[in-house]
Amino acid sequence: MRRFLLFFAVLFSAALSAETPALRVALGSHDVLPPRVESLHGASRSGSLAEFNEELAREICRRLKVRCVVSSMPFAEILPGVEAQRYDLGFGNYLRTPEREKRVAFSDPILRSSSRLIGSRESIRRFASREGQDVAIERLRRARLSVVGATQQEAYLNSVATAQELTVSATKTMSEAFALLREGKVDFALLPVLSAYTLLSAEPDGGLEFVGPGVTQFGLGGTVHLIMPRDDDGLRKAVNEAIAGLRADGTYHRIVRRFFPLSSLD
Amino acid sequence: MNAFGHLRGLRAGRIFLWLAVVFVLCFGLMVALVVIDQQRVVEASSRLQDQTVPEIIRYQRLARNLEQLRQEGERVFAASTPQARQQAMFVVTLVASHPSVLEHREAAEAARQTERFLADVIRRSLNDERVFVASFEEWQRLSARLGILVDDVSIQGINLASKDLGDVSATMKLARIKLIAALFVVGVFLIIFMVLLRAHLIHPLQRIDRALSGLSVEQPPPAFEPSSMVEIQAVEEAIGELHASLVQNEEARLALESLANKDGLTGLMNRRHFMLTADAELQRAQRYRRPVTVGMADLDHFKNLNDTYGHAAGDTVLRAFAALMQETMRQSDLVCRYGGEEFAFVFPESGLEEATRLAERFRATCADHDIRLPDGRMVRVTLSIGLADASACALEVALKHADEALYDAKRQGRNRVVTAGELRAETGR
Repeated sequence: MRRFLLFFAVLFSAALSAETPALRVALGSHDVLPPRVESLHGASRSGSLAEFNEELAREICRRLKVRCVVSSMPFAEILPGVEAQRYDLGFGNYLRTPEREKRVAFSDPILRSSSRLIGSRESIRRFASREGQDVAIERLRRARLSVVGATQQEAYLNSVATAQELTVSATKTMSEAFALLREGKVDFALLPVLSAYTLLSAEPDGGLEFVGPGVTQFGLGGTVHLIMPRDDDGLRKAVNEAIAGLRADGTYHRIVRRFFPLSSLD
Repeated sequence: MNAFGHLRGLRAGRIFLWLAVVFVLCFGLMVALVVIDQQRVVEASSRLQDQTVPEIIRYQRLARNLEQLRQEGERVFAASTPQARQQAMFVVTLVASHPSVLEHREAAEAARQTERFLADVIRRSLNDERVFVASFEEWQRLSARLGILVDDVSIQGINLASKDLGDVSATMKLARIKLIAALFVVGVFLIIFMVLLRAHLIHPLQRIDRALSGLSVEQPPPAFEPSSMVEIQAVEEAIGELHASLVQNEEARLALESLANKDGLTGLMNRRHFMLTADAELQRAQRYRRPVTVGMADLDHFKNLNDTYGHAAGDTVLRAFAALMQETMRQSDLVCRYGGEEFAFVFPESGLEEATRLAERFRATCADHDIRLPDGRMVRVTLSIGLADASACALEVALKHADEALYDAKRQGRNRVVTAGELRAETGR
């Protein structure tokens, strides 16, 4: 009997000491501000898009049967980190662009996003009356804008900044972009709708709102992907399989429902 | 057979080769046609999978998003608190700026209009709650338009599916018809192949088989209908040649047999053949307990004749004597030249008595017979005959008895017939 127990003890310790493979996941910094008011959306809103991403990352790790080692960082650091293979998987809601494709590999799409301007009611009124029509990104002139660094939104604004006399302030995180907006240091922020939505819904009522139409052109919208180091086809295939799997069994939709009032972001 | 008369004289190999080539071409054509259809089906299904189905899903999702937009709009009007209103408005904003709505021009326009209208209503409601009642009618119009758009979008998606599926099923039907046609072609070719095989190979082979099994020197050479296949004709000709050589062989065999069995000078049986035949005759007679008698004969003074007239005369005498013997003896009697001027006989079905009578008749005939020699002179020869009963002893023994009787006849003065019984009687004396 004693020998029997000893055998199991040895077996058990061996199982514990066995190294579980780990997946290093890079996430955008949590953008959730300490809630100042009761959440607008009640139970269905439980966190930021970064939390949604983390949930998705853990689900993918679970399906790959690996341990998730999650690190948070500003958006601008995710892609270089993945490119340098410090991370295996980057969740930054990356739009697919040829420049990015040269540096990292893209998974199958996880959702589709568009970009939209966010402004205070005051600045919306001011610009609308100044231009005589609704605010739209391509008509904006002499405006101050905040944007998250290294995003497609920043790239777009920089490309039209001179022509439209825009002053662009790049921030590390979306929260900072929001802060500039609240402090009145910028007139508008150009942000991806879904990420902004989670932040916006945490804002005190009447403060900030979406303005102008959602934009998918100018590289500001489209399918959003996970990024992985290039030349790791095995990982890419496994991740794609995991994504297809969690879409097929409804897990994806349930996760989406927990964060958004929609069942699908495609 | 007649239907393929024009094929006469063609090589079977070539005909079957041509048939195979035509078959392969026809079948290949059919297969190619089916493969093209198959390819079309594969393309259509992969289009269905890669484009149409995602497109349908997109349409359905768009329809659902628009419906959600409409419902959230209703909630804005139905909500009792500004907070609930704001909550519904957020969803409207989210849906209105979602790429799935934005990519559809009509939907984007309707969503944008709805969002603007609702945002405006909410903004105005902060000052005056009655604005909801005032704008409700306009909202209902907007809502109805959204509802129609939802229907249109989902119908577009469904139409997309039914068109592609219709294409696929039409192609599949076509492919099935072609497949059946291909099978039909295979069937027709197989039947033609079988008929040709039967008419031009199997039937001729059966004829050849019958001809071969009936082939014999007694039968005339088998006659064949002219065959359409060169190969079959060749075999049939070979059978004719085989028959001819069989006949030749038989003739040669007969010639050889007579050479082996006959005495060259007299044409009588030679001694070897006589021994075999006589032995058989004796055994037969003894088995059936029939009388049989053997005899030995010797020309008298033949040595003197040879010495006097020469060997050629001796040969002439022997030949003439043999001819006389064959004339005189019965058909069933066996006669042979036993050696030199010595001859042996078997008289089947004859006892000593009858044999003695026959031998006596012959001896007398011979003694009266003039033999013309080559130089024209005439000679007469006599002969002495010894007979012995052979119905109860071996041939050699019987011949020995006959020889002793012959010797006795010589001793008694020649030109006479002595039977072994007499000899024994004499010796007993």
